[in-house]
Amino acid sequence: MNENAKTILIVDNDLDFLALERTHLEHAGYNVVSAENSTAAQEALAANKVDLVVLEVMLEHMDSGFALCYHIKKSFPNMPIIIVTAVAAKTGIEFDAATAEEKSWIKADVLLAKPARFEELKREIERLLAAAAASA
Amino acid sequence: MITINVNDKMVQAKPGETILSALKRANINVPTLCHMSNLFPTGACRMCVVEVEGQRSLIPSCAYPVAEGMIIKTHSPRVVRARKTVVELLLSNHPDDCLYCVRNRNCGLQKLAEELGVRQRRYQGACNDYHVDSSSPSIIRDQAKCILCGRCVRVCEEVQGVAAIDFINRGSKTQVGTAFSQGLNVSSCVNCGQCVMVCPTGALREQSYIKEVVAALNDPQKVVVVQHAPAVSVTLAEEFGIKPGKDICGAMTGALRQLGFRYVFDTAFSADLTIMEEATELAGRIQNGGVLPMFTSCSPGWIKFVEEFYPDFIPNLSTCKSPQQMLGAVIKNYFAKREDIDPRNIFSVSIMPCTAKKFEAQRPEMLESGVPDIDAVLTTRELARLIRLRGLDLNNIAPEPADTPFGERSTAGKLFGATGGVMEAAVRTAHYLLTGTELKRLEVKAVRGLDAVKEARIHIEGLDIGVAVVSGLGNARKLLEEIKAGRNDLHFIEVMTCPGGCIAGGGQPFGTDTEAVAARMSALYKIDHGENLRVSHANKSVQRLYQEFLGKPNGPMSHKILHTKYHRRDVVI
Repeated sequence: MNENAKTILIVDNDLDFLALERTHLEHAGYNVVSAENSTAAQEALAANKVDLVVLEVMLEHMDSGFALCYHIKKSFPNMPIIIVTAVAAKTGIEFDAATAEEKSWIKADVLLAKPARFEELKREIERLLAAAAASA
Repeated sequence: MITINVNDKMVQAKPGETILSALKRANINVPTLCHMSNLFPTGACRMCVVEVEGQRSLIPSCAYPVAEGMIIKTHSPRVVRARKTVVELLLSNHPDDCLYCVRNRNCGLQKLAEELGVRQRRYQGACNDYHVDSSSPSIIRDQAKCILCGRCVRVCEEVQGVAAIDFINRGSKTQVGTAFSQGLNVSSCVNCGQCVMVCPTGALREQSYIKEVVAALNDPQKVVVVQHAPAVSVTLAEEFGIKPGKDICGAMTGALRQLGFRYVFDTAFSADLTIMEEATELAGRIQNGGVLPMFTSCSPGWIKFVEEFYPDFIPNLSTCKSPQQMLGAVIKNYFAKREDIDPRNIFSVSIMPCTAKKFEAQRPEMLESGVPDIDAVLTTRELARLIRLRGLDLNNIAPEPADTPFGERSTAGKLFGATGGVMEAAVRTAHYLLTGTELKRLEVKAVRGLDAVKEARIHIEGLDIGVAVVSGLGNARKLLEEIKAGRNDLHFIEVMTCPGGCIAGGGQPFGTDTEAVAARMSALYKIDHGENLRVSHANKSVQRLYQEFLGKPNGPMSHKILHTKYHRRDVVI
């Protein structure tokens, strides 16, 4: 683990997605911690110094990710959160994190629909980490 | 000529043409859904059926050739009943959410249902359980609203040569999909939006960023800046019922201010800037033996096309960013400093005739240290929606000029909106850069007009430069194959993704046809003819930008913020 690199927690119950994104993110120079469900995610947050979270909405339940976002923001109010989700494709229900109002209840900074290209995810990660560094 | 009898009237027809084409010329209106002029007929939808005497069944007029003495009924009771049944069957599994649909009052299916007097649901079909694919930053696909007319499939394959979507499955399970049913975002789609333009229903639409823009406009912390592309001012009026070919640049600027945009800039300014950079780059490549032919890089669909299908040609692409991105970069770097605004507090919006610009704006290359050059891209259609949302009447808005310093433009920059425009602007400036004098006759006739491929040889100071102008990616593919096969007489090639250029872009008003595109084109030529500042290098604001900030074209600062890199792109199929 590189001490100077930023650490990203990915939460998804799709193991292929976790493996793929881990490879991409490590190649891009990040430390990666992964979790397959909300409980494991909260344990990982407690055990590691995490700089940003990437998560899926549909974990144990269809909406577990939303509750997880809420818990993360409660413990770490400044933690940047990116939701990468297939919820629209799976259920037909569309969510957005475009306006301040939507962000305030969805408790995430960015929402990307799956399949997202890695360059999109990387761009959002870089943008949020730069903003976090600027406001720190 | 042969004569056919239509509804008891004699109509002249050309041998070999289809019944539909003869009827169209005689101004006899037969409804169509899947028909696309200039493409081979498929006869898929059966809307255009007519009764031909002596034939047992009804005949699809789009696919059937005329014959001497044919007796045709276009609106007999049997024909009308058949058409109505076709529409009723299409509606049987169509979502009943017209009021919530982006195509409400602008939908091919709705229009036919209304014209044919469908007033009740006679057939109740089983609906497939499809969900929206909203993964792409440019285009949303809603399979539930698809009527399988196949127009998107054909434009993608036959016109653009991309083939990102095709029919999959069979029978009642047939749908239009991407390879392996992956999201459009990871397919070979180049985001041109031509599929959106030909879709008769709401199955394809642009990814809208109106919500983000309105949120920024309502945020007191944000300085919201807008730029509009050259092709927008000559098409926006059509959204408000004015016939194609009217330029409403001034009223549009006024409307944008009333919407709350603090500064209104003109992308044609940065088109002038692009010309300075690109002409210098071309001259450099010719003089120093660089990679030739050089391709223009203004059209983001074309860039993705090269990255995916012809990565060997990446070195041939000009390294210039597109005008949208150049202006975005100049606003966040130079303008922010000059006005003493934190670039992070600037929300930069662009109004584009294009869906691919949405993709371009979020390319990681366009993100300087966490601050994007452009924050949101709206299409011409979305701007019209925003104007209607605010209840503005374009007819009663006094024309206003754009803001300084990026409001001044030459007509050469404005010509970027039509195929051949970049070339014409580049030739004017290249002549000046190489000889120190202006072209005697500024119009470059050889690159004007709506032909798919236009070629010319330009003679400047003993240099013989071969130029080509291509629009439509299918045509570009043919030219690339010629070059691959050894053709080497060309130095500079302009490629526009959409056939006709930005005036026919995927973000333009629905109902765009060849006549509309021609009218928009002549509106641009009229602007060029009627104004005094007609060459990019004479744009005083561009000159000042070089003096105060950029230094010289292709200098270190230019390279830092106005140029970019492209990469080979692997996609699913």
